Amino acid sequence: MRRKSLMKVMRAAISDVLETMFFMTVQFGESRCTLQEWFFDKQVLFGATISFNGPSSGSLWLVAPVSALNEITANFLGRGKDEISDEEKRDTVKEALNMIGGHGFSLFGRKDTFTLGIPRSIEGLTLSENIQGNPSKHTILIAAGHNRLAAGIEFG
Amino acid sequence: MAVNVLIVDDSFSMRSIIKKTIKVSGFEVGKFLEAADGREAMKVLVNEWVDILLTDINMPNMNGMELIGEMKKDEVLRSIPVVMVTTEGSERRVREAMEMGARGYIMKPFLPEEIKGTLCNILGEAAYAKKELDEGYEGGDF
Repeated sequence: MRRKSLMKVMRAAISDVLETMFFMTVQFGESRCTLQEWFFDKQVLFGATISFNGPSSGSLWLVAPVSALNEITANFLGRGKDEISDEEKRDTVKEALNMIGGHGFSLFGRKDTFTLGIPRSIEGLTLSENIQGNPSKHTILIAAGHNRLAAGIEFG
Repeated sequence: MAVNVLIVDDSFSMRSIIKKTIKVSGFEVGKFLEAADGREAMKVLVNEWVDILLTDINMPNMNGMELIGEMKKDEVLRSIPVVMVTTEGSERRVREAMEMGARGYIMKPFLPEEIKGTLCNILGEAAYAKKELDEGYEGGDF
């Protein structure tokens, strides 16, 4: 499968979803930057992962520090940042990833049928203990407003 | 005419957004009903009058396609219009949903106008209570 093309459409999907549903303008960071550098090393990250099957299989992930999750959840639900619960943050980031995945695969080619799994939460991930600390051509660094997020694809 | 709307999605945030979108679109809604999957939706459908159902596809326990299949087995429930509101956009998925009897298909991410337009088409202008009429005419040059 054309992995490079898939990365390209996932970037487009991230822009569409964050701009349409979360009212955030999106820019992408330098892909050679590591996640430690992108998140200033010390951050604990939360997020979601979702599996996909089709012409290729693997999983998508989306992570952000809690401050960014507060903002995207507040934007999504149209409420103040101090009015949202942890459960709402978890649910929102899972739904954001679900939309990114579904939209991305539909942009990739409407004739290619991918099936998405049910999104799962990633809780309290520290960069030092996970595989995503290294730069990867399958990682997307996202600047949404003044918030930083990261997404990626792991091919199975 | 006030309509009862059932929103089926495993994300409560998404249910909340759809509800808010319908509200601001100016539809006169009698009751908003919610379910987290197809199985919960079936329980709501046998206990409540529903005029239109909006459902995601990808959900645990009973997905949106299975929900339409279950509704089709019932003489009353099969007449309720179903709109898919989903991330799944492959041609095959859309065709499958429409062949199973879905009346509309909205892709996430969506603009509020897409929900409004689809509901208008399905429910007809009668269900669309324009705010200007509800709140009284407030200007314009006659």
